[in-house]
Amino acid sequence: MRKFILRRFIQLIPLLIGISLITFFVMHMAPGDPTALFADPSIKPEELARIRVNWGLDKPVIVQYFIWLKNAAKLDFGYSYISGKPVVEEIFERLPATVLLMSISFFLILLISIPVGVISAVKKGSVFDNLFTVVSFIFMSIPSFWLALIFMLVFSLKLGWFPPFGNIVLPCAVMVISGLAGITRYQRASMLEVLNQEYIKVARAKGLPEYLVIYKHALRNSLIPIVTMLGLSLPDLFGGAFIIETIFAWPGMGRLGVSAVFSRNYPVIMGITVFTAVLIVFGNLLADIGYAIVDPRIRYAEKK
Amino acid sequence: MIFLFACISAFALDFDPDGRLIMSLGGEVSVVNPVLSTDTTSSAIEGVIFNGLVKVDKNLNFIPDLAKSWKVSRNGLTWTFNLRRDVAWHDGAPFTADDVKFTFDTILNPKVNSVRRGDYIIDGKPIKFKVVNRYTVQAILPKPFSPFLTSASMGILPRHILNGKELDMSDFNRHPIGTGPFIFIEYKAGDHVLVKRNPKYYAGSPKLKEILFKIIPDENTALVALRSGSIDETGIPPKDFHPIKHVNLYKYDALLYTYLGFNLKSPKFSDVRVRQALSYAVNRKQLIGLIFMGLASPAYSPCAPVSWAYSDDVHKYEYDAQKAKELLKQAGVKDLEFTVLVNQGNKEREKAAAILQQQFDKIGVKMNIRVLEWSALLKIINARKDPKDFDAVIIGWSTGVDPDSYSIWHSSQYPGGLNFIGYSDPRVDKMLDAGRREQSKAGRKGIYAKMYKEITNDAPYVFLWYPNVLAGVRNRVGGLSEPGPAGLFMDIEKVYIKK
Amino acid sequence: MLKKNKLALSGLIILATLFILAVFAPVIAPYNPNEIIEDHIAAPSLAHIFGTDDLGRDIFSRLIFGGRVSLSVAVIAVAVSLTIGILLGCISGYYGGILDEVIMRFTDIMLSFPTIFLILAIQSVLTPNIFNVMVVIGATSWMGIARLVRGEFLALKEREFVEAARAIGCSDLRVIFRHILPNSLPPVIVAGTLGMAGAILTESALSFLGLGVQPPMPSWGNMLMDSQSYLLDAPWMAVIPGLIIVLAVLSLYFVGEALRKELNPKE
Repeated sequence: MRKFILRRFIQLIPLLIGISLITFFVMHMAPGDPTALFADPSIKPEELARIRVNWGLDKPVIVQYFIWLKNAAKLDFGYSYISGKPVVEEIFERLPATVLLMSISFFLILLISIPVGVISAVKKGSVFDNLFTVVSFIFMSIPSFWLALIFMLVFSLKLGWFPPFGNIVLPCAVMVISGLAGITRYQRASMLEVLNQEYIKVARAKGLPEYLVIYKHALRNSLIPIVTMLGLSLPDLFGGAFIIETIFAWPGMGRLGVSAVFSRNYPVIMGITVFTAVLIVFGNLLADIGYAIVDPRIRYAEKK
Repeated sequence: MIFLFACISAFALDFDPDGRLIMSLGGEVSVVNPVLSTDTTSSAIEGVIFNGLVKVDKNLNFIPDLAKSWKVSRNGLTWTFNLRRDVAWHDGAPFTADDVKFTFDTILNPKVNSVRRGDYIIDGKPIKFKVVNRYTVQAILPKPFSPFLTSASMGILPRHILNGKELDMSDFNRHPIGTGPFIFIEYKAGDHVLVKRNPKYYAGSPKLKEILFKIIPDENTALVALRSGSIDETGIPPKDFHPIKHVNLYKYDALLYTYLGFNLKSPKFSDVRVRQALSYAVNRKQLIGLIFMGLASPAYSPCAPVSWAYSDDVHKYEYDAQKAKELLKQAGVKDLEFTVLVNQGNKEREKAAAILQQQFDKIGVKMNIRVLEWSALLKIINARKDPKDFDAVIIGWSTGVDPDSYSIWHSSQYPGGLNFIGYSDPRVDKMLDAGRREQSKAGRKGIYAKMYKEITNDAPYVFLWYPNVLAGVRNRVGGLSEPGPAGLFMDIEKVYIKK
Repeated sequence: MLKKNKLALSGLIILATLFILAVFAPVIAPYNPNEIIEDHIAAPSLAHIFGTDDLGRDIFSRLIFGGRVSLSVAVIAVAVSLTIGILLGCISGYYGGILDEVIMRFTDIMLSFPTIFLILAIQSVLTPNIFNVMVVIGATSWMGIARLVRGEFLALKEREFVEAARAIGCSDLRVIFRHILPNSLPPVIVAGTLGMAGAILTESALSFLGLGVQPPMPSWGNMLMDSQSYLLDAPWMAVIPGLIIVLAVLSLYFVGEALRKELNPKE
């Protein structure tokens, strides 16, 4: 078991290097650069050139990358071009807000999707199930930013139930609705597959009451793949958070990232991309480990 | 007994001594340091925390701030500023001439990332600053330069705190100490900035106890907040500029204009008749009606009407599609096609481009629109090559308090300067130089009036509009200045919340 | 075809309608999509069935021209992602070994990015226009297809018909493209359909943020961007393009789902 975890950890390193390398070079493909961002065209170009040198932007890109990498290993991600604050400080300042939004959404999604998915599977073909299918497709087709706009229009502007910014209810609602359909359908599929297994039929044959069959045996086993699914849906959840935070002015990491992108704030962009990717990679790692703990077949396969 | 006294004195005041004003900020604050910052949100905060040697009044005249008087030597080279003696920094230390010299030396230091450095260098030579005595400081210019006073409004930094420290990364930028009417308390990223009253302010203790600057990037959200009373002031989008309960509306001019600039080095625009034709083809009324619901003024001159140098005697190209077509015919131009650059994110300019495209289409000219990210656009128009890689651009100028526009129109400012369209007229060059040497306002006004006429005859830009500032302030706020380009909150120490 | 799947049928009809509107837009549209009519921010009426926008342009006309843009972006983006995904999946699945390791690692890296953020970053670096939007979306959504194709190849390459082809001397290339690939296409077709749905959503999100198709060229996404300031004054500017997006994506999902059921009889 330990060897398994260790191996996975080591596999992380090339992954992280690859992520940071790609991000760094993409950023530096820019036709403009951060100094040109000083939003005042009356600033003389010589001044901008001087600042470029001060920021080390005149060195070749590959050299800049290695300087960044060296610092990153010491957990020094540099200073934001806009505020001069250390990047890690900026990210950690905004992190709690994003974590809050994402955890509550996550929790609500699970709360709704597991029961709905299970019931749909159990009552396959029923009115409930068919209705669920159509509704989930509709939810998957709704662009999250449009939903955000509509919610803003109806609940904030027209009905005045919530202020347009500062409240967590609306952004959460949008994230939950956007993320619900996928997981629920997966839960349903997983449950269906479990219900078709031999041991379920055996349990029924033994005369166990139906509800015990479902809740004691089937449900637990159907949850296993969900763990992996949750890990896989992290990138989308983060991505969704970025846009929704921007629309609802939610002071989280996503909004910081989007505005950093628009202002070519390289250190912050690098910091957020690497940070998010690390979170995702760790999320998947935890999911894999959890999966391996629960499913003995995986562990035995490693031993081969 | 004391309680009674307190009650009576409270009734005697017509304002709330614990009043907190809530203003809106359109974005994040970068650094609260006038020497380093370049964005308007940071300068809004700096405006209440720092003072300069001089400031402007509602008519844009320079009046004393930290300098109680000043004079210029006969030859125009030495400016002597006599400083106030009763000013203290927020931490109690006294303000002296050393702080002034320190501030300007810091700006001129090439290792400091200050973009304002260029303002203190005239023809390649820096201005020298000298401390004469504890309360007198001199600026020695390499040549006479009347616009210098604008640079004297730069916020002054405390030497006793910053001397010897690296300014760019300094913690000072997030916890500034100034001499102004308000003291910095905190900045919560993404949320707000809070400042509190400086009771020892030289012009008197401010009536407001605190100012909360709330960060609201979206103007529609800000409007909702204004309506509900959760903020006291904000800018109002033109389409929403209608009476609002409990809110006073203000509309006034600013020192800005937006224009379509032609690359004069391009063969497409070398004939003045083509440029004039395009100027005649623009229906400014329609533009302003669609973009601003009529809340802006058509522009025909490179000077905003609110500036003292404004002259109405310019060549105006009022809408005349017929004349436009004739001029094109005279110039022998058929099927003119060109691309205009617009910066992404500026909705007004993007809309203007879309509308102009249609207006030019009516006279048989095809204009393509290329929307670029701001830094990418700047890179193209600021590139030091001749000719530059663009046909035309829609952009604006914020003309500053001093009408000197040397950097925009002088032939020396191309290709490495703000004259990116490549304008070159020796008569205009002479007038720009003269305007800088001339020390009297009346004299300068005469020179510039002639110059504007000359420039408009050449039609190097199609001047589009002068925007209005549209603001709403809740009526519990009193003590505002008269609406004008210096803003409503010019004398912030006089602003108060009504009881 | 399964006529009994009513949802799929309606999906197909809607898609067909949208495509016809898009292709014949210049003929069908009542107005030039960029033409400015003085009556701006007008509610839907007989003259303008979906109303006019803030610059006085007819929304219905913009909608169908926008459909041209959004649908062509979706098609080409999916074409790009299929090309990359199939290519990488083939090589990975057929040859295995080091090549497989490298390609799979690369796929893992790409999958670790929050995709939208990566696309935003790339688009902010380029000057966004309709062409690079297509390429960028395609270049960031091939991963699922690559894995799918690789999986199919892993399963199929040990089968007898492949052995037979190799035995008679077919080159690797021929075996891949003539024999294995056609048999692995069904799930790829399903993935392609779903990919189009995703591409429409991604393009609209990009254009909404201003990093996709640039105005004044209309796309469903940038029409929504314009509608933001006018939510209260002209809600139709926001509601209608959004509904069209939902309709298009939904239809693609119905069709894709029906295809998937068709190709996976075990369910």
